[in-house]
Order: sequence, then C-alpha cells, then structure tokens
Amino acid sequence: MKTEDNNHHYDVIVIGGGITGAGTARDCALRGLNVLLVERHDISTGATGRNHGLLHSGARYAVTDHESATECISENMILRKIARHCVEETDGLFITLPEDDLSFQSLFVQKCNEAGIRAEIIDPELAKVMEPAVNPELTGAVRVPDASIDPFRLTMANVLDAQLHGAKTLVYHEVIDLIIEQDRVVGVKLLNHHNGEVLNAYASVTINAAGIWGMLVAQKANIKINMFPAKGSLLIFGHRVNNMVINRCRKPANADILVPDDAVCVIGTTSDRVPIDTCDDMRVTPEEVELLLNEGMKLAPSLGTTRILRAYAGVRPLVASDDDPTGRSISRGIVLLDHEKRDGLKGFITITGGKMMTYRLMAENATNLACQKLGVNKACTTATTPLPGSEPKAKKHSTFSFAHKASQGRHGTLDDSIEHGDATSDALVCECEGVSVGEVRYAVEQLHVHNLVNLRRRTRVGMGTCQGELCACRAAGVMCDNENRAQSAINDLQGFMNERWKGMQPVAWGDNLAEAQLTATIYQGLLGIDTLANERRMEYYEI
Amino acid sequence: MKFDDIIIGGGLSGLTAAISLAQAGHDVAVISAGQSTLHFSGGSLDLLGCDSNGNAVESPLEAIATVSDSHPYKKVNEIEAKALNAKQLLSEAGITTTGNASANHWRITPIGAIKPTWLSVDGMATVPSSQAMPWKRVALVNIINYLDFPTKFLAAGLRAKGVEVEVKPITVPALEQLRKSPSEMRSTNIAKTIERNGLVEEVATAINNATGNNYDMVLLPAVLGIDSSATSDKLLKLISCPAGYVATLPPSVTGVRMQTLLRKRFTALGGTFFTGDQVVEGIFDGNTLKGVRTAKLDDTTLEASHFILATGSFMSRGLVADYNHVYEPALGVDVEDHSLNRKSWAVVDINSNQPYMEIGVKTDDQLRCMKNGEIITNLYATGAILSGHNSIKSLDAAGVDMLTALQAVNNILK
Repeated sequence: MKTEDNNHHYDVIVIGGGITGAGTARDCALRGLNVLLVERHDISTGATGRNHGLLHSGARYAVTDHESATECISENMILRKIARHCVEETDGLFITLPEDDLSFQSLFVQKCNEAGIRAEIIDPELAKVMEPAVNPELTGAVRVPDASIDPFRLTMANVLDAQLHGAKTLVYHEVIDLIIEQDRVVGVKLLNHHNGEVLNAYASVTINAAGIWGMLVAQKANIKINMFPAKGSLLIFGHRVNNMVINRCRKPANADILVPDDAVCVIGTTSDRVPIDTCDDMRVTPEEVELLLNEGMKLAPSLGTTRILRAYAGVRPLVASDDDPTGRSISRGIVLLDHEKRDGLKGFITITGGKMMTYRLMAENATNLACQKLGVNKACTTATTPLPGSEPKAKKHSTFSFAHKASQGRHGTLDDSIEHGDATSDALVCECEGVSVGEVRYAVEQLHVHNLVNLRRRTRVGMGTCQGELCACRAAGVMCDNENRAQSAINDLQGFMNERWKGMQPVAWGDNLAEAQLTATIYQGLLGIDTLANERRMEYYEI
Repeated sequence: MKFDDIIIGGGLSGLTAAISLAQAGHDVAVISAGQSTLHFSGGSLDLLGCDSNGNAVESPLEAIATVSDSHPYKKVNEIEAKALNAKQLLSEAGITTTGNASANHWRITPIGAIKPTWLSVDGMATVPSSQAMPWKRVALVNIINYLDFPTKFLAAGLRAKGVEVEVKPITVPALEQLRKSPSEMRSTNIAKTIERNGLVEEVATAINNATGNNYDMVLLPAVLGIDSSATSDKLLKLISCPAGYVATLPPSVTGVRMQTLLRKRFTALGGTFFTGDQVVEGIFDGNTLKGVRTAKLDDTTLEASHFILATGSFMSRGLVADYNHVYEPALGVDVEDHSLNRKSWAVVDINSNQPYMEIGVKTDDQLRCMKNGEIITNLYATGAILSGHNSIKSLDAAGVDMLTALQAVNNILK
C-alpha cells in the first residue's frame, strides 16, 4: 500500500466487491464521482460468486411478486445489451410435471404477461424437441426469455469500467471500523489482509453494499438491519445436459431451476436460515445434496447419471421490513436505507436485499441517493452504456485457436488486451477451459489476481471437468514470477486444491471420487505438496 | 479360449503376476483396459515410505514388520526375497533400478520436495539422504514453453537445501515447431519428437552449450525414453556434467516406458495381451471362477484354472463408488467396508487420511477373493484393489502392487 492511499478523501466509498458494490462503484464513477471500492476478499467472493448464473426473465416471480417480476424482465433486457459478453441467450422452459397442477399454467402465463414477460405455451412434444434433456413425462411447457449469465465476468466488467472512469479498487482490504464524527460517517478504517497494515479512507458518502455482511458493517455504527441469512445450495454437473434453462411451473420451491452455464449445468437451490457467523464458511450437507439431486432429476432425468463436479452454497441477504421485527414479511425486493433519515446518521447508505439480476437498478438507486446527498445532478447512464468487453464495435478476429476463441468468449472485446499469436503466450495452461499463458498473464496484470482462486474467477482455470488436476500446478508456475515467491506459490497451490476439494467432498462418489483419488495421487503422491506447503492463515484464502 | 491363468488388469501388479507366471511356464493372458497408474509415476517405486505416524521410514524391511493387521503386506511371506525378485523381474524387462529394501533413498519431486523411495529407475536423479544434498551447484534445464516441469518450485526446493541452482531454458528447432500447436508441449509428444527424429545429439549440444562444465549436476525433465531407455541413457552420456532426470507432471514418460517394457517382456515370454478390453462378467461354478466375458469378445468366454484381479482402485475403475455403496464392477466380488456409509468415505481436510483410500476387495489370508461371503478358490486379488492401507500416506503403492502379485503367483504355483 502506497502511503498516499492513507487518509485520502473520496466522494464515495463503496463497501463490498460483489456485483452490487461493483455496479454501484461503476455508476458513481460514470457520474463523475471520485470513488473508492473496498472488498475484504476477492471480487465476487460472496453470494455473487455462489449463485445460479441465471438471467431471470422474472417469470419465477410473476405469480407471487409482481414488482420483482417487472424489475427482472426490465433488467434482463438491459443486461443482454450492456453485458452481452457475459450473457448466453438460451431461453427457458417452465415445465409442468404429472404431479403438478396444470391449471397453474394459465395463471402463470397471465401473470407473466401482466409483468411484460413474453410467455408462450408450447406443446410438450415441441418442448422435448427444443430441449431433449427435459423430463419426457412433462404435461405442459411455457417458453420464457430466461438466459444464463456469468457472475464473475459481469462483476469484473463493472469493476473495470469503474476503474476506467477513475475509481480506485482495494481488494483484500476489510472495513474494520466506520469513522464517525458526531452524527456523520466520514470514512472507513481498513485492514490490508496482505500486509496487516491499517489505513483510513475518507468520503462524503459511504455506501454499504456488503450483502449479508452489510449487517455487520452497519453494526459498527450501532445500526441494526433486520437481515436473515438464507443459505442456498447448488450442484454443478460435469457437462451441460440442457441448452435451455428448465424451471418448474409452480410456486417457487427448492431445487427447481436447472441452468446451463458454459460447459456445465447447475441445479439449485435450497433455502435455509443460517446463523450469520456461519456465512464465511458455507458447506453443503449430504441432505441438501440428496434433495438437489432428487429434484433435479425431475427436471432432467439424465442428471441421475451425470457426474456431479462439485457442491457449493451462497447466502442471500434477505431483509425484513423495518416495521416487522418478527421477520415474517421478508421481501426479495430491493432495500435502500438512508441512515440519515432512518437512524439520524449522515453520510451513510445501505443497499441490500434484491438479486444479482437487479444489481444495476440497486446501484442506480444507491447512486441517486448518494448524488442527492452530494448535490450532484447527473443522470444514470448504466442502462445504455455497454460494459467493457461488450462494446458494439467488437473486432472480429478470425482464429482457429480453441483457447483464443474461449478467451474471446470470456473477455469479449477485452480479449484485445491479451497477447495471442506467439508460442509463449499461446501455450495452454488449462486444457478443459482453453486458458493460455497469455490469458493468465493478462488476468494477473490487469484483473486483480493475487492467487489461483482469483485466477479461477477471472478465467475459469480449474473449473472444468478435471477441477484443476494439472492446470493448477501449471498456472501456479506461470503466476510465480519470482523464485523468492515459490513458497507462497506452493502454499497458494495447496490452498487452491483445498478449495476445490471443499466443493468435491460433499459429492465424493462415482467419477468424482475416482478423480479425487487421481488428484491426491498426483499432488500428494507424485508432487509431495503436503510436505512442502506451510500452515498459513487460511481465513484469508477465501475457500 | 482357455489359458492356465488370466490376469485382469495390465498395470504394474497385473504385469508382475503375468510375467512371473509366464516364467514358470504357464500359458497366461492379460486383459487390460489400457492406461495404468504407471502413467502418473515419479520414476521411482515405493515399498514403504512412511510409518503410521507419518514419519519417514529408513528401512522398509524393518518397518514392514510394524504395519497394521489390515495391511496387504500381512498376507505376503518372505518380503525380502520378494523385494529382490521384484527388482530382478524389472531388470529382466529392461527396467534397471537403483535401491534396495533394506534402506530407502530419496527421490526429488517435480516441485522440489524430497520423498523416500525403494527403487528408482536408472537415470533418475536421487539423493541418499533428505538432509544434505550431494551437489553444490546444479543446473536445472527445461525446454522452453514446457509448462509441466515447474522449475521455479524445483529450484526453490533445492535452494532451501543449500544448493546453488541456475535455471537453463533450452530448445531445438523441432521443438520450436511443436510449440506452434499450444496443446502439443506435453511430455510424451516431446519424447516422440526427439526420439523418432533422432535429435538426441542436437538436444545434448543445446544442453552443453547452456551448462558447459560448470555444474556438479545437471537436472533434466524426464521427457525422454518413451520406447526404451536407449535414448534417455544416451543423452545423459552426452552431457558434459553429471546429469540426471527429475519426474515431470503427468503423463510420465518413464512410467509409460515401464509399462511398455513390462508388456513386451510378458509377450516375449509367450503371454497373450488383450488390450483396450475389460471384463464385464464372471462365470462362476460354485466356489470356482470358470471363465470371464469381456466387452469386446462378446461371444467368447475366456477360461482359466486361476485368475488374478489386479484392476486397481477407484481411479483405475477397479472399484466403483455408487451413490450408496462401493462395488467391484468386473466380477462383483465382495468389498471390505461395504457397509461404510457414503458420508464417511471422504473427510473435509484434504490432507488427512481419507477413509476411501482404504476401501478395497476382501481377501482371505491367501489373497483369494470372496463372493457373498464365500471364498472363490481360484481367484486372487493383488495391488491397489486390495483393502486395508492408504498408499498415498504410507508410500507403499508399488510394493503392494508387486509383492502381492508375487505372493499370489506363489499361492497359485503351490
């Protein structure tokens, strides 16, 4: 940390490097504000990196929550334009199974239409042709504009655009205190987890966008936000069995959405209240695995014979309305708290609740309020300004290289910043996902990559079917630019294998168990990493 | 088709048994699915590297006396003689090794760790002790763009032990050509390019230009000698300084060669090798296995007087873990710890003793398999498919493979 960063004054400090914080930092920067974005781990570590990767059409909420449904479809259409390199336009099906009430379908379609969501009843036979993986027992199907979206890419693109417009980003910097003078939050005290240093940053407005952890941030100012951590567990399958999102046409329930994401597919989710102090280390239980698998097989029976790559869980920041201390009326809507009005504390805003789908709108609302406090009169432009990577004039490279195509898919027009075409840059690090040395170097130099888990979030290294069997070691070698750092690179490699194992262990049977044994044979047996890696502070290696 | 013995599995254990039986004059067939764990080899074979407390073993022979009652070594007689037989068998196949069962030596891993081992294939760089390195100045040679030999880690590991290390990247025009296709820079492709184009001298010149006479030791990635050790031996002789190989990330060229040579030895002894095939069914008559059917030879039953099941553990598909139980897929023989619940197979800490590692088929004291609790009198299990030990923690995989195979052969010949 350079000393000039200490005591620096900003217009706005945004706390939280998830999609909401990143989107808010971008919006503020686009409106000309001087912004600092702080994140205690890596970008998209929390719920952002642990969701479904679903670009909701809003149909899921049409019957139960009209407001969420209209927000979703509106943001859906916006994200297809501004974040097209993060979106895959798959469309989705809402299927009725024999055990479901087919009469729900007409209500569903009516409510979708009321919310402005295109919902088209199709013949079950046609649905089977459109999506061969769907349960052939289906009795009804409705087609809606669902899609899949890569949350890691989306968040990174927001961070990059914020930076392009002057924002500063500090990752691995945790807010350990809010600096309060009289009745005003004037800044934050930050702990740099890489070197243990503490520094202060000051701002006219501080925006708390820390997801479920925002509850703890507010507590530092003795402000209570009535939040309910809701754990959602998901399973990733080893290949993409479906090409359209498959949902159940009934009121939202557990494990009733199957999303094709990149080369894999994801079934989810569960929903269970958990204590706030467990949110930093969510583990999927055997019971959750069983539920997800059994329900998933009802959507696409072939899931029963498909390898499960890993299990993971995130925590939704659900908020109970202020006038309901019992927490019964929990909304999934956007919650914007002006703590000046609510608690008499000036210069402090919390933006929470909501969904990844509506992050842009959340950011817009939070930034509007910040601008109002700062006396800045500038309109929001995020709904029409493409994110970096999704600019309209994408250069068309003709390439035969699998890795080059893969990186164009991942980075959109930003791929121009990646070295291609010489043997060193093109050397393949990860065969499953087509990640080259050039892409690894780009990520390290420009995308805030400090360790292999960061690298995975930016490039998909180790996300493929082998879960990092060889690529992790190769990537560690490429990232280790200096032999003096070899020991920390080895520790990082061990940390990465731990993180991969965390997701594999709850589903360690079948091919997954075989793969785990092979990985252990290579990393412990052949390489002897267990004898080299040192004990380290794993809490800041966010596994 | 009828044979004296049929070995199911063509890895280290199966081929050891097959060669040994063929040497005894038997008509032997091996049914192999293809790859074996030798492809993940470090160029060395372990007999027993760690005791139950995780401490390095100095003398495997002495330490074997202390293994737990469940360990497969408890079913092997005359360990010392069998360890010698194993070394001899490898040597006769063209795999000459350094080391013996009385005292472990140490191998260098691709990321610079030092691990105790029993036999190292000649040409592999080894050290007599984990403490002091026998070299002061080492050159670490790597091929430009070959990512599976992490020189920075290896250099750091050696430096931590007081060695002065310099990394020397080299290349030759044919490898430059190979680099143009990004996925081709893997060990076996490099070996084939150098060997099949006769480029060993050229590579040696490139290495000598980089290292001169200035080093006590030149360490090279083990990417030569895929068909035989002729080329890998020749390169070492052409290098001006003393030189040796260090294992790379998989695939292991040394391991591929070991499997090839063992297979050649077996067929030279008159054995029959069915490759790319697998057993799908056993034909039992009471407590006897009469024959097996395979995926490819669908209307033929392969019959034999004795059978050995050497199909390996989970990673080799010798064992399969279902959602709720572990089973042996080829013949359906009984699996030890069958009652273990799925939830207890794997534990959260990646480095702790994973219970699944000890799951394997149940055998009697003569290594005979069981089916529904009854001993099958002519069916033996050897190698990684056996239950009762963790080969990654105790560093005993190759020893269990070879010694249980030799014991099963003894039991058959008795």
